[in-house]
Amino acid sequence: MSLVNFTTREITCKIVYYGPGRSGKTTNLQYVYSQVPAERKGQMISLATQADRTLFFDFLPLDLGSISGFTTKFQLYTVPGQVYYNATRKLVLQGADGVVFVADSQLRQLDENLASLQNLQANVLEHGVDIRTLPMVLQFNKQDLPAELILSPPELDDALNFRGLPTFSADALHGPGVFETLQGIAASVLRRLSEGGGGIRRL
Amino acid sequence: MSTTSVVEAWTEKPLVRYVDQAGARLVVVMTTAGQVLAQHGFVRAVDLMAASALGAAIMASSAALAEQLGERSFGALFHAGRRHGIHLAPCPTPRGALIVLTVFGRETSIGLVELFYEEFAAALRQAAPVDQVREPVLATDFEADLNRSLSSLFRR
Repeated sequence: MSLVNFTTREITCKIVYYGPGRSGKTTNLQYVYSQVPAERKGQMISLATQADRTLFFDFLPLDLGSISGFTTKFQLYTVPGQVYYNATRKLVLQGADGVVFVADSQLRQLDENLASLQNLQANVLEHGVDIRTLPMVLQFNKQDLPAELILSPPELDDALNFRGLPTFSADALHGPGVFETLQGIAASVLRRLSEGGGGIRRL
Repeated sequence: MSTTSVVEAWTEKPLVRYVDQAGARLVVVMTTAGQVLAQHGFVRAVDLMAASALGAAIMASSAALAEQLGERSFGALFHAGRRHGIHLAPCPTPRGALIVLTVFGRETSIGLVELFYEEFAAALRQAAPVDQVREPVLATDFEADLNRSLSSLFRR
């Protein structure tokens, strides 16, 4: 749950980038890290294998600045996408205030996207959270690839977006869509704080 | 320089007392999601945000490993380095499960840290409030601020 310090007027939120292996979760964070000025970001930590695949998580703290008089900080995490790392994926999800699901737009990755979405739902449920109340956005990454290799955003929306969530087309390697995705999830998470009440519903 | 920062005021008194008694360089109280609730000590010793994310990850993976082995939990763990040691321990409270990271140097010992940690954990449990329903925090028209902040973050 978002931490709110009323004395120093600070908010800290945890955002998790989720999705199948090689969909571009770490690339999203690397792009954000490369664009943000030094005084607005902390150290980026990547717990990766020797082959640079995420083993546990990537972590990037960001200072968003003042929002409604509160200094707002976001902690961005990624999970490892490979199926066999589910135990660690579940751990990183713990206490998430919002999720960015990074889908791989390639036609041949559609089944992996669906399996990862189902896995997300199961893991969120294991933490006792009703996924329908968890702020979430979908990113359709790799839209820069040749059209014959990928599904279009409307096709991906039909296949993956059962909840009618906000969606963003992206090319995380070069940047388009990365900022918009972060903006989308930040707005969804902070909207919770402007509504009050219980926020994320525990089952 | 020694500094204190607390997100929730009830943590401050037990925390400052624990750091003094145990002779620790730095103590960080965090949630199991890796968010800092309070810290006291020499903050230059470590990057606080990164230390919290890693500390929470270590505790989460230890707990998961314990479960795999049919253990209830492994409790505290510590590592001793050449100049610094760390003591990392779970601390269940009415406010929720917390984790305490203690960084200490050669001026104290793991024995003293463990001894005073038990007192600290008990004091935290006693001081912790039960979670309450949260009132709205941000104004409803926060989105203009958010867009402005993100634009400056990405230098747009």
